[in-house]
Amino acid sequence: MPAADNGASHTMIETRNLVKSVDTSEGLLTILKGIDLRIAAGESVAIVGASGSGKSTLLGLMAGLDGATSGDILLDGHSLAEMDEEQRAILRGQLVGFVFQSFQLLPSLTALENVMLPIELKGDPDPRGKARQLLERVGLDERWHHYPNQLSGGEQQRVAIARAFATQARILFADEPTGNLDTATGGKIIDLLFDLNREFATTLVLVTHDERLAQRCDRIVNLVAGEIAGESSPNSITEGRDDRGQEAVNA
Amino acid sequence: MPESPPDLVDTKPAAKLFVLATRLLWRDWQGGELRLLFLALVMAVTSVTGIALFTDRLEKALLVESANMLAADRIVSGRGELPREVMTEGQARGLRNAETLSFTSMAFSDTGNMLVAAKAVTEEYPLRGDVIIADAPFVRGRPIQSGPPRGEVWLESRALPALGIEVGDTVYVGEAEFTVSNIIITEPDRAGGSMVDNAGPRLMLHMDDVAATNVVQLGSRISYRFLFAHDDIDELDAFESWFRDQEQWRGRFYIRDVRDESEEVSEALSRAESFLLLGSLSAVLLAGVAIALTAKRYSERHYDYVAILKTLGCTSTQISTIYLTIQLLLACIAVVVGCVLGWLVHQGILSLLQSLLLVELPAAGFEPYVIGTLTAFICLLAFALPPLLALRETPPLRVLRKDMSQQKIGANVPYVFGILGTIFLIYWYSQDLVLTSVLVASVAGIALFLSVVSYLFLRSSGSAGMKAGSAWMLAMTATRRRRSQNVLQVMVFSVTIMSLLVLTLLRTDLIDEWQAQLPQNTPNHFMMNITAGQIDGIEAFFAENGVESNAFYPLISARVTHVNGDVPNPRDEDEDGDGANTITGGAQLDEVDVDPQAAAALAGGDQAGADQQSAGNQLQSAGNQPQAAGNQQAAGNQSQAEGGTRVRGRLSRRQVTWADEVPPDNLITAGTWWGSEPEAGFVSVEEEYASWLGLEIGDRLEFEINRQQISAEVSSFRSVRWDNMQPNFFIIFSPGTIDHLAGTFLSTALMEREQKVLLNDLVRMFPTIVIIEIDALIEQIQSIIAQVTSAIELISILVLLCGALVLLSCVSASLDERFHENAILRTLGAGRKLILSSLLIEFAFIGLVAGCIATVGAEASLYYLQEEIFEQEFSFHYWVWFAGPVLGMIIISGLGMNATRKVVKTSPLNVLRQVV
Repeated sequence: MPAADNGASHTMIETRNLVKSVDTSEGLLTILKGIDLRIAAGESVAIVGASGSGKSTLLGLMAGLDGATSGDILLDGHSLAEMDEEQRAILRGQLVGFVFQSFQLLPSLTALENVMLPIELKGDPDPRGKARQLLERVGLDERWHHYPNQLSGGEQQRVAIARAFATQARILFADEPTGNLDTATGGKIIDLLFDLNREFATTLVLVTHDERLAQRCDRIVNLVAGEIAGESSPNSITEGRDDRGQEAVNA
Repeated sequence: MPESPPDLVDTKPAAKLFVLATRLLWRDWQGGELRLLFLALVMAVTSVTGIALFTDRLEKALLVESANMLAADRIVSGRGELPREVMTEGQARGLRNAETLSFTSMAFSDTGNMLVAAKAVTEEYPLRGDVIIADAPFVRGRPIQSGPPRGEVWLESRALPALGIEVGDTVYVGEAEFTVSNIIITEPDRAGGSMVDNAGPRLMLHMDDVAATNVVQLGSRISYRFLFAHDDIDELDAFESWFRDQEQWRGRFYIRDVRDESEEVSEALSRAESFLLLGSLSAVLLAGVAIALTAKRYSERHYDYVAILKTLGCTSTQISTIYLTIQLLLACIAVVVGCVLGWLVHQGILSLLQSLLLVELPAAGFEPYVIGTLTAFICLLAFALPPLLALRETPPLRVLRKDMSQQKIGANVPYVFGILGTIFLIYWYSQDLVLTSVLVASVAGIALFLSVVSYLFLRSSGSAGMKAGSAWMLAMTATRRRRSQNVLQVMVFSVTIMSLLVLTLLRTDLIDEWQAQLPQNTPNHFMMNITAGQIDGIEAFFAENGVESNAFYPLISARVTHVNGDVPNPRDEDEDGDGANTITGGAQLDEVDVDPQAAAALAGGDQAGADQQSAGNQLQSAGNQPQAAGNQQAAGNQSQAEGGTRVRGRLSRRQVTWADEVPPDNLITAGTWWGSEPEAGFVSVEEEYASWLGLEIGDRLEFEINRQQISAEVSSFRSVRWDNMQPNFFIIFSPGTIDHLAGTFLSTALMEREQKVLLNDLVRMFPTIVIIEIDALIEQIQSIIAQVTSAIELISILVLLCGALVLLSCVSASLDERFHENAILRTLGAGRKLILSSLLIEFAFIGLVAGCIATVGAEASLYYLQEEIFEQEFSFHYWVWFAGPVLGMIIISGLGMNATRKVVKTSPLNVLRQVV
C-alpha cells in the first residue's frame, strides 16, 4: 500500500492521464481525454463545465463508481486501476461519501435508517446514536422516522448529507447537490455542506452548474470537451489551508 | 481527521448483513413490494401441499374403501370347491383369512317362504370393512365386524315382510332351524358379489351351520370364496404370484384384488388422478410464472437500490447475500403459510366430501409438506433467483446516470433456469418420463407458436391503428412501442388463459361424461326370464306403484356358425391374459348357475360372459365382450390347440335380440339401420365384435338359434357404451327375423331404497322371473364419482386462483413504465379521459389477442389430452371460440384498468417524483 503523507497537506485524490471512452452507435466516443488533477486533503474543488463536457463522468471515475479506459486514480494513495469492483466497493465504504442531485435515499428506509445504513455496512459501533446525532446536526431530529417521500427536496438532501458524513468519510463527492432545489433551499444546503465539510475536514469534490456553489470552493476546475480548460481560485477564505496541492497540471 | 489506512478486506460480519436483509425485507413488505411475490410463493406451496395432502389421503381412503368392497385384499374364487392348499398357503404366509359360501335356497317361516341369497361366513369375516346390522327392518344400522353366531341368521329387510316374521322369530333353511337375530342392512362385498348373491334378499349364517341345513350338496349351485388380507402389500403380491404360478388351477380358480372390482370406478379414478396431476402441475407452473414475473419486477425496482448500496460500499457478494437472505426468509415464511393454507384447503375439500366418504380417512403422511416445501424452493431457484442474482451486476454508476442499464443480464438467462426448473418439477410430480417429455415438447411448441403469432399480431397493429381517433392511435402506438414487452405479456396471458380453459373444459367434459354414464335415474334392477304373457302384468304393476319401468328386450341365445359360408375365423386379440382375466372377469362364470334359464341369459349360453363381480357387467355384455372372450382364448391355449371349432363355438354364442329402433347409447358407425318399415333378414353388429370377426357390411352371417339355422345380412355396425349399466347387445336382428323363435324378455326398472319391498310382491305375482339387484353397485359407483367430481371442482378453483395471480402480476409488471409514461402525457396536457381510453384500448387489444391464441391453444391441447391421456372423444367447443377472446379482453382490460387507475388519480408530479 503506497505510503501517504500523514499531514493535512497530502494529496487525497490524484488522477493520472485519465481517459474514458465509450462505444456508441457512431463509433468510439472519448469523453475524457487525459485528465491530470491533484486534490489536496481538505481542499474543496468545484468541477464546472457545459453539459456533456464530461464532468459527471470524471466524478464517477474519481469515486470509483466506474472503471477508466486508461490512466489511474489514486484515492488517498490507493490505486483504483488495480482494484476490481469488489475492492472499490470496500474502499468506497471506508473512504468516500456521496451527495447526489436526486438525493438517492432508499425509499423504503426512514430518514434515520438511511443514515444508519452506511454505518452498519462499515461495521462501526452505535449506528443509531451516530445517525440521530447527525440528523440533529442537519436539523431533522424531529423527522427521523419519516420516509423519503414524506420529506421535501431540501429535507431529503439534508438526510443525504447526514448519510454522507455518517461514516466520517474523508472524501465527499457531490453531484449537483443543489440541482433539484430552489434558490433559498439550495443556499441553506450549500451552507450546511460547507459547515460540515469544515467540521469533519473532508476533501470535497463537487460537480455543479450553480455559480454560488462553485464560488464557495477553494478551486474551480473548468472542463471543456473532456479536457481541463482552466482553473481559478475564487476569492474565498481558505483558513490557512496549504496551497501546494492546488497545482494542477494542464495537459 | 487522521485514520488508519482502509483495510480492503471485506470486514462486514454476516450478522450485520442478515440484520440488514431482514430490515430490507420488512421494509419491502410494508411497502407492498414483496406482496405479489410472496403471494405467488404461497400459492405454489398451498396448491401443491393441499392437492398432495388430499390425494394422499383420498388414495389411501379409496384403497381402503375398495378393499371394503371385497371385504378383503385378495379373493380366490372359482368353479367348485376351492383347493384347501390355497388356504393352507395363505395361512402359512401369515395372511388373515376367511371363507364365504354363497348359494340360493328357499327360506321358510311358519307363514311364508321365499328364495334367498344365502351366504355362510366364518368367524373372521369380514377382513375389511363392516357389516351393517340393525334391530328392525328398513332403518339405519350400526357397524359390526363379524357375521352371525351359530344358530342365528341375519336377514335383509325386505325378506321379513315376505316371510311374515319379525326379529326374534324362527326361519328354516333346508333341514336346519335358525333364529333371526338381526337385520342386515348391508355387507361390505354386497355389491361385488357373484350372481348367486344377486338372486334375492340376503340371508347370512355361520359357516358351521351349513352342514346342518343339508342343502349344499355336490352339484349345488354354490359360490366359494377364500378371503385374504394383510397390511403389507408385498406379502399379498407374493401370495398372488404364488397362486398364479399354479398351472393346474388355471382357468378354474381365480384371484382378484380391489383394482379388478369395478371397471367404471377404476377408470374414473385413474382419470381423476390424471386430472389432479394436470391440475397441480398447472397450479405449480402458473405460480412459477407468477414468481418469475414478480421477482423480475422486484429486481427491476431494486436496481437503484443496489446502486446506492454499492456507492455506500456494499460489495457484489454482499448484495447477493442480502438478496439471497431476503428470498430465503420469504420462502420460509411462504412455506409455513402455504403449508397451513394447504392443510386448510385439504380440510375444506374433506369437509365438503364428508357426507360422501363412507370411511374415516387415514391420516396423511408428512410427504405432502415436504413436496410443498421443495416446490417453494425449486420455484424460487428456478424462477426468482436468476433475476435477483443479476442485481449484483448493477453498475454503481447508475446513481449518476439513470440510463445505465443492466448490461450483463441477458434477458433470456432467467428463463433458461425457469425452463429447467419446470422440466424438473413436471418430472418430479408425474414420475413419468414420457408424460414429461410430451408435456415439455408440446408446451415448447405452443410457446414458439404463440410468440410468432403474437409478434405478428402486434406488428400489424401499428398500421391498423393509425386511422382511428386519437385514443385509439395512442393505444396502438403504445402497444407497438412496447412490442417486445407486450409479446411476452401476450404469451403469459395466453398460456394462462389457455391453461384455465383447458382445465375448465376438461373438467366439464369429464363430469358430463361421468354423469351421463350413470345418471341419477339409471335403472338399478334387472328382470329376466320374462315371458311374453307377463309383460302387460309387470308394466301394470310398476305403473300402479309409481316405479319407472323400461323397454322389454327379447332375449334369445344364438351362435354364429358361418360367415359368408365359412367357419368364422376370429382374429387373435393381443391381450394380457392375466389383466383382463381380472378386470372383465373373462372367466369367473362357473359360479353362475342360478337357474339354467337365467344363467343362460346372463352368461350368454357359453357361460363365458358371466362376470362374477357384478351382475351389471354381465348384463351389459349379455354375451361378453370380445376382449374378455379373447382372453379366455389366450388363457386357454390348450382348447385352441385342441380344435378351433370349440373355441369359436364358445366365443360366438351370444344373447341376441331384435329391435325396431337403435337402442339408446348406441351409435351407427357404418352401414344403415333399418328404417320405419324394417325388412326381415338383417342384423346389426357391435363394431368391436364385428372387427374381431373380420366382418364387413353386406356379409352374410348364419346363426344357430334353438337348433335352427337363421341367415341374415350385416346391415350396420354399432358402437355401444358398455359402461352404462344397461342392457347392451352385440347382435340385434331386424324385426321379423327371429321373432318366431321362442325367447324370453329382459327389462329394467329404477326402484328407490324404500320401494324395494315391492320386489316381494313382484316375485309373488310372477314367480318365474329372475330379479337382479344392482342398486348397491350403482350407488357405490355414483358416490365415488361424486367424490371425485367434487375434488376436481376444488382443484379447478385452486388453479383458477393461480391463474388470476399470474394475470395480476403480469399487469403489475408492466405498470411502472405505463405509470411514468402516462404521467408525462398528463403533464403534456393529455386529459384523463384520453389516457383512460387509450389504456383501455391497449389492454383490451392485448387481452383479445391473448384470448384468441389461448382458444386455439386450448383446443389443440384438449384434443391431445382427451385423445391420448383421458381416452375421451374430442369434440369442438364452439362457444369457447367466442368466449375465449371475449373473456380474455374483459379480464385483461379489467385487471389492467384496475391496476392503472392510480395512474390517472395520482398527481403527475407525484408520479414523476416517485418513479424517477
